[in-house]
Amino acid sequence: MSTDPMNSEPIWKSWFARHGAKLLLFARQQSRRPDEAEDLLQEAFVRIWRLYGHTGEVSPGLVYRAIRRLAIDWARSIDRRQAREDKVALDSPMSLGFERSLEEDERNQALLRAVERLPAEQKEVLTLKIWGELTFDEIARTLEESLNTVASRYRYALQKLKEWVPEELEGQPGTSGASR
Amino acid sequence: MKEFDELEKSLRRLKPRPPDEKFVARIESALGDAGNLAIRCLPEEESAASMPSPSSSSSSFFRPLLFFTGALGAGLAAVWIFFANFSPSPVPEPAGRIALLGSHPDVPLAGDPSDDPDSPLHGVSLSELPPYSGMPVSGWSDPQVNERFLRMVDEGLIDRPGRLPARQVRHYFMDETIWSHPASDLRILSTTPREEVILIELEAY
Repeated sequence: MSTDPMNSEPIWKSWFARHGAKLLLFARQQSRRPDEAEDLLQEAFVRIWRLYGHTGEVSPGLVYRAIRRLAIDWARSIDRRQAREDKVALDSPMSLGFERSLEEDERNQALLRAVERLPAEQKEVLTLKIWGELTFDEIARTLEESLNTVASRYRYALQKLKEWVPEELEGQPGTSGASR
Repeated sequence: MKEFDELEKSLRRLKPRPPDEKFVARIESALGDAGNLAIRCLPEEESAASMPSPSSSSSSFFRPLLFFTGALGAGLAAVWIFFANFSPSPVPEPAGRIALLGSHPDVPLAGDPSDDPDSPLHGVSLSELPPYSGMPVSGWSDPQVNERFLRMVDEGLIDRPGRLPARQVRHYFMDETIWSHPASDLRILSTTPREEVILIELEAY
């Protein structure tokens, strides 16, 4: 049994308890549908763990990369594309991805709404940096972009949030999905 | 980016929702055997990639013991070499044996030592063993056996004719056996290296 001697839990479970929440958040963002996000994370995690799980420690960056590549593959399939188009009626995936008690705070809600307005490419960098706790180098490798690009996107994202959060608090949101 | 410090802190305070138990159970089921692959982690202070640090308390306990064991081994080897080189026949000459044991006045001279099948030492009978080796013969507790995982080496993919390809992983272990003699507070540590090869079947996509 793949167990940690300090507790009787399999090693993958301890690993997943540490990284599962942030991976699921990223998967939600990549898939835009909560039900698809779990499928995406499951597929990516199982693939990576089967390859490298015997080491007892897997770099989360590998799973982030697998999630992203799978999301791209799935988006290419007709069925999934249709599912993506249906997403419009769903709640904000960012707010779904966070603990409920925090959403009740007005400022946090405004913050999440502002994050939601960010362009997808800035939002994914922000997610990986803030909640995924990856370095810019790891983010660049995950998104297959240059280091400068991801660092710039992060900076643009923060600039916009700084501007938009007060707007959201006042209930005067700007144009949704604005790009830089 | 000091201008964004506050904003970053606020964002970090938002905690992503953890996966629910139902989802974890789904992953467990999807992982199958890969989730139960035999591997052990060492406690924090013992890195899986290295032997125990010389400064660790456990090694400081075993250091004199290892020295003693080594010295004892060297001594026994010297005895064996003595008998092998200086005895003209397989059975040692009484003079040689007397000369050897002569330095141990307390050693009782039993019968022909080479005939004692219970003695672990050729040329020394069981009754001669305690005074000669300085170690008791009886009163030992059952040996304590520990298996330590040292490191893992991923040896890459291998092809298996007629079967799915597999990833070959080699695990290195050190088996330790500790004998203890409570009456004299004597302990002996024996270590044996061991390897295990594990094949992880890969799925073809």
